[in-house]
Amino acid sequence: MEFKIRAYRFNPDTDEKPYYKEYTVEDYPGMTVLNALIKVKSELDGTLSFRRSCRSAICGSCAMKINGISKLACKTQVSPEIEKFGIINVEPLANMPVIRDLIVEQESFFDKIKEIKPYLLGQREDEGHDNFHALKEGEKISQPVYYKYEFQNLTGNNDTPNCILCECCYSECGGVVGNPRYLGPAALAKLYRYCEDPRDNDKNGSRLVNGSKPDGMWDCVHCQSCEEFCPKGISPVKSIVKLHERTIKNSITFSAGSKHVVSIAKSIGETGRLDEIKVAFDSGGISGLINDLPMAFGAGLKGKIPPLRLKLIKDMDDIRLAYKELDLEEK
Amino acid sequence: MLKHDVIIVGAGLAGLRAAVELRRKGIDAVIVSKVYPTRSHSGAAQGGVNAAFDENDSWESHFFDTVKGSDYLGDQDAIEILTSEAPANILDLQKMGVVFNRNDKGGIAQRPFGGQSFPRSCYYADAVGHMMLHGLFDNVLKYKTKILYEYFVTSLVTDNGKVSGVVAYDIKNGKFEGIAAKAVLFATGGYGQVYSSNTNALINTGDGMAVSIKAGVPLMDMEFVQFHPTTLKSTGILVTEGARGEGAYLLNSLGVRFMSKYAPKAMELAPRDVVARAEQTEINEGRGVDGAILLDVRHLGKERIMERLPQIMQLSIDFEGVNPIYEPIPIRPGAHYSMGGIKTDYNGRTVIEGYYSAGESACVSVHGANRLGGNSLLDTVVFGRRAGIDIAEYLKTAGERKFDESTVKRDEEAFEKLKKSSGKERHGLLKSELQEEMRADVGVFREENAMKKALEKIIELKERAKNIGIDDKSKTFNTDIVEAFEFNNILLIAEVIARGAILRKESRGAHYRTDFPERDDENWLKHTLATLDGKENIKFDFSEVAVTKFKPQPRTY
Repeated sequence: MEFKIRAYRFNPDTDEKPYYKEYTVEDYPGMTVLNALIKVKSELDGTLSFRRSCRSAICGSCAMKINGISKLACKTQVSPEIEKFGIINVEPLANMPVIRDLIVEQESFFDKIKEIKPYLLGQREDEGHDNFHALKEGEKISQPVYYKYEFQNLTGNNDTPNCILCECCYSECGGVVGNPRYLGPAALAKLYRYCEDPRDNDKNGSRLVNGSKPDGMWDCVHCQSCEEFCPKGISPVKSIVKLHERTIKNSITFSAGSKHVVSIAKSIGETGRLDEIKVAFDSGGISGLINDLPMAFGAGLKGKIPPLRLKLIKDMDDIRLAYKELDLEEK
Repeated sequence: MLKHDVIIVGAGLAGLRAAVELRRKGIDAVIVSKVYPTRSHSGAAQGGVNAAFDENDSWESHFFDTVKGSDYLGDQDAIEILTSEAPANILDLQKMGVVFNRNDKGGIAQRPFGGQSFPRSCYYADAVGHMMLHGLFDNVLKYKTKILYEYFVTSLVTDNGKVSGVVAYDIKNGKFEGIAAKAVLFATGGYGQVYSSNTNALINTGDGMAVSIKAGVPLMDMEFVQFHPTTLKSTGILVTEGARGEGAYLLNSLGVRFMSKYAPKAMELAPRDVVARAEQTEINEGRGVDGAILLDVRHLGKERIMERLPQIMQLSIDFEGVNPIYEPIPIRPGAHYSMGGIKTDYNGRTVIEGYYSAGESACVSVHGANRLGGNSLLDTVVFGRRAGIDIAEYLKTAGERKFDESTVKRDEEAFEKLKKSSGKERHGLLKSELQEEMRADVGVFREENAMKKALEKIIELKERAKNIGIDDKSKTFNTDIVEAFEFNNILLIAEVIARGAILRKESRGAHYRTDFPERDDENWLKHTLATLDGKENIKFDFSEVAVTKFKPQPRTY
């Protein structure tokens, strides 16, 4: 069966603006979008440009938008796409500038990976690299002991170390759309991976402090896209939520985001209600309040004025009990 | 022109391991790679990395297994280093942040692998290559290493017999760059794309080997190509040997575990050459299932499959439409690994002073005629590290040298000439013809006449390659021209393989001649060394195999 590929084309050497070009390809059972692109390139049009390498969903090179969704071309079968859309539409990933055709500039993505210090911090003395030696005849080596449970969050099928840095999550991330400086899901998942590592010796929590700075973990908008579109079944947003928990537990609460969460928890714990004015003040201080004024004014015009004094809700005892139980659980 | 102390070409495990070694010492080493480091094919390694840790195991046993696995063609002095340094290397990776699955005693969990007399393959589910690649990459970032990615190296540059740098094509910007250095390490991987039906990434086109032989560095034992016994029938995608390590069966169309006939003791865990031949024999004799063999893991149970072989499960579902929990996986042998490569010693040194190689691109030789599963990842870190150490030493007395900048112009002109070409041949199609010919006639079973036919085809393709047309005339990210160069590289490598295979009139390890079915230690216990005579012709020399502890014995499993 023949089908059509409609490819986003842009060559900065010759094109003023992007355009789309259609190719007709013969299908075969099991054909992937990458197979189809390779067929186009080798038989019809050598100028169509895309990245590719392993063709088995482990290297992350061939991520692109296929019928609007960021996917690995090597892992995407042609026939279900055709059934659903009648065509294969291929476009470059979003949230990164296009270099050419389906190829994007990844520098900003990888810079963010570098920014989170993706390695074990604070090596212990006895774990230096100098005690390396080849074994002599009859000699055995002794190894450090780490039990399964110590790595339990790093050895599951969908745990963050399985991330292949393909940028699908980054391309779909609502947070990056709003703030291009935001670290994004892959970098934060990696940050979490190293926080969870039992060998990590980041005593003063510098990694969490770094991750809490503006454009960091508190800029996640919780849209869940990263989880939805990860080709490896990983959920960066879950890692980000766990990072939030960790930072607050470690009293790293200088960021507006963490202050916001702490203030909400406090407000509910005291009155059972959300004291919006206080939460805004706690998170952003006076300047935050002033920034929020236009929004508050607009809300006021529509009759949505938060009360200045909150009354306790009538089920307050239940809330106190719930807080108490949660506290106990923590301990 | 750029200038650094060391250039590391290739950013897979061997290259990154060497980079870490050099950067830890504060040496100015730059990584040059045609893809971003995490795209390297090391990441596709699945099953394990070998090291003797258990109190009932010993590195000496690993040593012997590897020598026997190599069909006695491996150099025993090098294999001794590989196996005795293995445990320390694995622990070093662990210190760097690599995660391995754990056993109940708190040590690194280990699974059985083919040809190993003890379960000694350390693993991270079935994605240990990915884990190691990303772990090492993270360390390369830690030491703030400069990375020139999407740079395609076209030449090695020398000055009076000493290496002086490389010429590289900046793919993104479409310009040539000379990079001067006192030492160059090629960790450029293998050439799986010489064959159709291979497990390799599309980038594995033997570039480093091709550049080396053109620079006068011999390629050793190139006729030894590993065919992995379990690759998905439709795509050739790898299914780890770890599946058999976990207890999978190989079944023919009669539902029989046919390995009992070929390796009654080791069964499915015989070395890869033995299993691949057994499968091909079953298929050839009509006991295949649509040209495939079945890999059955159902009896392991859902839980174990999900825990130990999750990637295999997903790959089977996504690429073969088969869920291994409920159905056996159709598999067949596919080209997988190059035992041969750039001739080096066990410190990674080649015949050119300051020029090194490590990993799959190198031939030390620790794998001889057949590599054992789980030994290639080990090879990358042991010899990547050793090359790093040796380079650091070498730099102390290396002295200055001149980088001949005319080499940049020369390569640029060759590129421009090819780019302008509007011939009728399409390199993508020529590549398919070459791959299919190599699979058919220089594959698992080999025979003189068939191989001569393959050689004729290669010569024909070389002629037709002169008439390749390039569609893409632009500067920015011109992958058309890069692929054309890659094709020329695999064409050269294919010729070296075919000629070496015709030359070697015996059967040893992965090189099986139906017309010479026996191993012939008297005449052929030696390495073949291919060089270019003048420009075009490949000529062969031989070198001794280092036999230290284990005299060659008949090899049965």
